[in-house]
Amino acid sequence: MDIELLEIQDFLSAHHPFDQLPDETLAELPAMLQVRYFRRNTEVSNTDNLATFLCIIRSGAVELYSTENELLARLGEGDIFGYRASHRPNHLEDHCVAIEDSLIYQMPAKAVDRLCEAHAQFAYFFGTTGGDRLRDAISNVGQSADSHVNLMTTPISEIISREPVTVTPNTSILETAQMMSRERVSSILVCAEGQLAGIVTDRDLRNRVVAQGLDVNQPVTEIMTFNPFALDESAYAFEAQLQMARHNIHHLPITRGDGIAGMLTATDLSKIHTTSLVYLVSDIYKQNDIEKMKEVSAKIPELLVNLATADASSDSIGHVITSITDAITIRLLQLAQERFGRPPIPFAWIAAGSQARNEQTAKSDQDNCLVLDDSYRGDEHGEYFKALAQFVCDGLNACGYIYCPGEMMAVTDKWRQPLATWKQYFNQWIDQPEPMALMLTSVFFDMRWVYGNRTLFLELRQHMLEKTRGNRIFLAHMAGNALSHSPPIGFFRNFVLIRGGEHNQTFDLKHNGIVPIVDLARVYSLASGSEAVNTLDRLAVVAEGGEVTQEGARDLKDALEFICDLRVQHQARLIRAGRAADNFMSSDNLSHFERNHLKDAFTVVRTMQNVLGQRYKM
Amino acid sequence: MSIWKYLFNLSERRNWYLMKIPEGPLRDYYESTFPTPDTDWRQVDYLALDFETTGLDHAKEEILSIGYAPVKGQSIRLSEADYYLARPSRDIPEASAVVHGILDDRAFSARPLEEVLPRLLHALSGKVMLAHHAAIEYNFLSNACKRIYGYPFIGPVVDTLALEVRAFRSQDKPIRSGDLRLAAARIRYGLPRYPAHNALIDAIAAGELFLAQAAYRRGKRAPMLKDLTVIT
Repeated sequence: MDIELLEIQDFLSAHHPFDQLPDETLAELPAMLQVRYFRRNTEVSNTDNLATFLCIIRSGAVELYSTENELLARLGEGDIFGYRASHRPNHLEDHCVAIEDSLIYQMPAKAVDRLCEAHAQFAYFFGTTGGDRLRDAISNVGQSADSHVNLMTTPISEIISREPVTVTPNTSILETAQMMSRERVSSILVCAEGQLAGIVTDRDLRNRVVAQGLDVNQPVTEIMTFNPFALDESAYAFEAQLQMARHNIHHLPITRGDGIAGMLTATDLSKIHTTSLVYLVSDIYKQNDIEKMKEVSAKIPELLVNLATADASSDSIGHVITSITDAITIRLLQLAQERFGRPPIPFAWIAAGSQARNEQTAKSDQDNCLVLDDSYRGDEHGEYFKALAQFVCDGLNACGYIYCPGEMMAVTDKWRQPLATWKQYFNQWIDQPEPMALMLTSVFFDMRWVYGNRTLFLELRQHMLEKTRGNRIFLAHMAGNALSHSPPIGFFRNFVLIRGGEHNQTFDLKHNGIVPIVDLARVYSLASGSEAVNTLDRLAVVAEGGEVTQEGARDLKDALEFICDLRVQHQARLIRAGRAADNFMSSDNLSHFERNHLKDAFTVVRTMQNVLGQRYKM
Repeated sequence: MSIWKYLFNLSERRNWYLMKIPEGPLRDYYESTFPTPDTDWRQVDYLALDFETTGLDHAKEEILSIGYAPVKGQSIRLSEADYYLARPSRDIPEASAVVHGILDDRAFSARPLEEVLPRLLHALSGKVMLAHHAAIEYNFLSNACKRIYGYPFIGPVVDTLALEVRAFRSQDKPIRSGDLRLAAARIRYGLPRYPAHNALIDAIAAGELFLAQAAYRRGKRAPMLKDLTVIT
């Protein structure tokens, strides 16, 4: 074809997936087309011929319906349908109606097949599942190859360079020192049967051996620190930095599952590039008043921008920002104890909701609770814990973690109770589930210990999980809850199309994007009795347990990562523009690429919601 | 036009020419029967056609470029669309060059009309000519045929401009200046804006307008060809 059909060629090349084709192929496209006109309210295609053409809307708008006459998509200029451009998996599409006078370009299926054979990128668009396309999208826009290595985004496993240096518990102090000298290490791990038993550092040799004049032929267990604080190698280097600051240690044993992976030292951490902000954050533990902590927390938006610029994954950003919240919480609890004295009875400070899941962003409120030892007596201990909770919740609020609108906070009397009462709460929620109550309390089904007596937390969690595991009636209610937020159907021009055919100007990234996936993962996790709380962790664990198919879990993981990455970029953009971060993305700000992949993400979520609904006979 | 058309219908005149015209492209064209006026319009093949010319007077001016695309089964077949230039016998007047953008250099590298006309006549065989303000294309083509083959061109014609006039009249709407231009008519049917004055794009634009007009025709039954044509 001559240059004379440039008009049509230009139109195609401006739209996905035709933008994937080289110029010489684009020039051949117009000659493959047929042009048709459909008047408003007439059928464009039906079951018989929907797949025979790939249809491109040149002008006008159409709606796609399922056999049950459910609206599947509303499409405008530049959108495509028919052939294998399915807007739902399993080709549920049945017929298509013009809702405006529409000019449609039709490309015969055979011509599309030939293009697919010759151009892999183009063919990818017509891949079988949205999940596959999402994976591609994430690897395309996600971590660039030379993203800045820094503490925030690097897992510890990538920093520890050598095999662990270990001795057994019956090794003498002398042999241990000789081993450290030979291996040129400043600390050594003591292992019994492959498991971490203790740690010995240069300082221990100085303070506990030489200064004390101890017999160096005694076993190393005489001077080692038992059960030292350790992190798993999958944790981020940033987490290690914070824990070292928190515990004032310079050597951190690193585990790999039950075994030992190595030792991380303060020197290892200082070797990798980092921002001064990280040091500022680790300073939280040195702060003595709330004003200073406010200064640190005020930098969280800036931190988010830096991380987004460095192409950090939304998952690592969630962990980083949450660990700052943890650090502030812990420091506030320490300060509270300085002020009000030592606690009269053991307690556990527990994070709920997004903090528990390590999924906080630049805009988060506080969800927390206090679990007290069963020796609690209101008249005797009540005042102390009320004051403690008030101090911490006020402090968090001052630092920007605004009071939870649902009052799911330790400062609320109801959520500051002894373990036995907490168990009763869960008994009631699980044994006599009520939809409204569950919606409000579902944040407490995401729990993570932050400070205090960990045993109290472990006992409560075990109690909860034993009750939820395989409990169909309760799970059916949780599933109903999980289906209350549904993703949009798709996009139509500059609008977000929601169920029932209504339009929204903005897309609520949180409630229509992230929450449905978080809710699904919670149901899977509670059903299998898994201890995982982070949504990605939950999806990884439940897939192994068979609560959801491997493929389903993988698709949900990809959908979540895509939407979360989009949210990070959106919030970073707002912060750079000097505005407050929010969860509302205008559809104008979505690129064609992002729209397409968001549609895929919605499809994944909707499919998994349907599966869940059927499983619990909703 | 001669008095003939009032005495004999198109088919009869086609038979007349078949007896007289010697071997050649025009005779080949007449060998195919014309679509019959009583056919459902959807069963008929059309050729959406547009010319760019050196001026408006078909007696004096010449065809510069030819663009067309067949319309079959209510769809425009771009795979069979075509576009070519014809070499004029003299310089292109500035007034027309401004409109169609075809300059002397390009026009004079083209082949003369005698060599390209057979392609057009072949494409028109068995089809209905379709154009916006079709008198221009019809008269220029007929004149060219008379000059080159010694006999005129005849055939059924659909004129989207005439259809638009009928649409206005049937709705009792007044026609204002500019209402009937191709671009203005297209807007009324929600058709996209195209750059004007390229023969192929204008031909496609007229084809699309025709499909829209047909879709919008009121009435219980689908129109016959004779309901849409100006020359039958």
